[in-house]
Amino acid sequence: MARSSARNAGRLPLALAGATLLAILVVPVAALVLSSSPRDLAAGVQHPLFGPALWLSLRTTIVSLLIVVATGTPLAWWLAATKSRSARFVEILVDLPIVMPPAVVGIALLETFGRAGLFGPFLQYWQLQIPFSTIAVILAQVTVSAPFYVQAAAAAFRRVDPDLLLVARTLGQSATGAFVRVAVPMALPGLIGGAALAWARSLGEFGATLLFAGNLPGTTQTMPLAILLALESDVRAALAISLVLAAAAVLLLLALRVATARQWARGPGAEF
Amino acid sequence: MFTPPVTALRSAALLAVLGLGCACGAGADDATVVTVFAASSLTEALGELAEEFETANPGTRVRLNFAGSQILRLQLEQGAAADVFASANPDHVAALNAAELVGPAEVFAHNELALIVPVENPAQITAFDQLTRARRLVVAEPNVPAGRYTRELLRRANEQLVPGFGDEVLSRVVSEELNVRLVRAKVELGEADAAIVYMTDAESSGQVLRIDIPPAVNVRADYSVCLVADGRAGEAATRFVEFMLSDTGQAVLLRWGFGVE
Repeated sequence: MARSSARNAGRLPLALAGATLLAILVVPVAALVLSSSPRDLAAGVQHPLFGPALWLSLRTTIVSLLIVVATGTPLAWWLAATKSRSARFVEILVDLPIVMPPAVVGIALLETFGRAGLFGPFLQYWQLQIPFSTIAVILAQVTVSAPFYVQAAAAAFRRVDPDLLLVARTLGQSATGAFVRVAVPMALPGLIGGAALAWARSLGEFGATLLFAGNLPGTTQTMPLAILLALESDVRAALAISLVLAAAAVLLLLALRVATARQWARGPGAEF
Repeated sequence: MFTPPVTALRSAALLAVLGLGCACGAGADDATVVTVFAASSLTEALGELAEEFETANPGTRVRLNFAGSQILRLQLEQGAAADVFASANPDHVAALNAAELVGPAEVFAHNELALIVPVENPAQITAFDQLTRARRLVVAEPNVPAGRYTRELLRRANEQLVPGFGDEVLSRVVSEELNVRLVRAKVELGEADAAIVYMTDAESSGQVLRIDIPPAVNVRADYSVCLVADGRAGEAATRFVEFMLSDTGQAVLLRWGFGVE
């Protein structure tokens, strides 16, 4: 008894620190929910900024997620399967957008796809204009969100037992067949987790979009940009958009928990 | 958690209170600091004005915060600590004044709009009525004073220049920026074919070509300044506003292309 209370006393400062952080994380979200009445929310949802921004955010984040998954999965597989030094170097390159401030990513994208940028003359020749277009929004989202997916996917592929792939090959599967039929299903929980993180990051993308894609309702004004704009004219709309984004985040987390829990329970990765 | 939630919450609250206590104590300083919130278009002019003020008033420092006037108004409404507010549009000051957050305002300078194009001038625009040649036009968003003046300009162009001209121009807008300096940056970067900014913004940049707008349709922008009601700089803030309105202050503004009375 005495021993356990002594142990508790030792734990108290740690518990305090943890509880403080938890409060910092949770209280603002609670305040956001408490700050607006249902009537405010209804008014916000009807604000002219709300609909186009929601629709644009949904479209662009779905497209960018598809691009990230389609291109990120093979890259992650290669990173997981390759032990060479070049693979470790590529891994660092992939992580760059995570550590770079989004504003830096925005400027970098302008210097790449802008009129005066690296590909500027080429794009001009083909009459392609990337900045200020919905494509620019998607490019910004892909750039900032892909590292989260590739990281998670590579980690998931590393946990796949190479012997199982070997068995699949001896049973007549091609390399691609083994990848699609064995590696991907086994890594699926990790892939889903990474995809969800990437999607959330796309949905919240602000800085790079503002700099690279500009701000035009219906074309480049995604929900985070609309929040800033709405704050200047109608705070209720800003709160409504914020609540929708927060709700989307909570639903995503819950769905992720349910999906991955099921996968772990019945999937081949159950030993973890 | 290891501890019951009530204890944890109480300790979190205690930490929060301690944190606030520290923040208050750190505010004390020897020099009096005048915090000035000012419209983006005033960046250089007020920067120089503040330097001259500091030279003339030893022991007083001026801290400048530039943004779109509508963002500054929002920050003041949310209780941002400032002493002086210089807005590019009287409406934002009037709204703050109605909420008793700022004192009475005084107009200290005026400005007008100008068209700018990149030095390479990809759309080959040489006069205001050729603005419809621009495929990528950038303006300030409607809550930014410059954006509001731009829409007034285009409304006048509809009526007085060519019917539908302003609407046609608006249909070429590819981005609505959050302050006038971001509008100008899009032309400096060469991304926009043309943009509408203040005359002073056009003059203070060496990387754009300026095209004058016909006086018949151009819009006059009045800049007003006021004291923030709960400012802490007290008499120093009043002196700064007086300095802005003085002959010395007005000469600085004139030098940066602003109109003064």
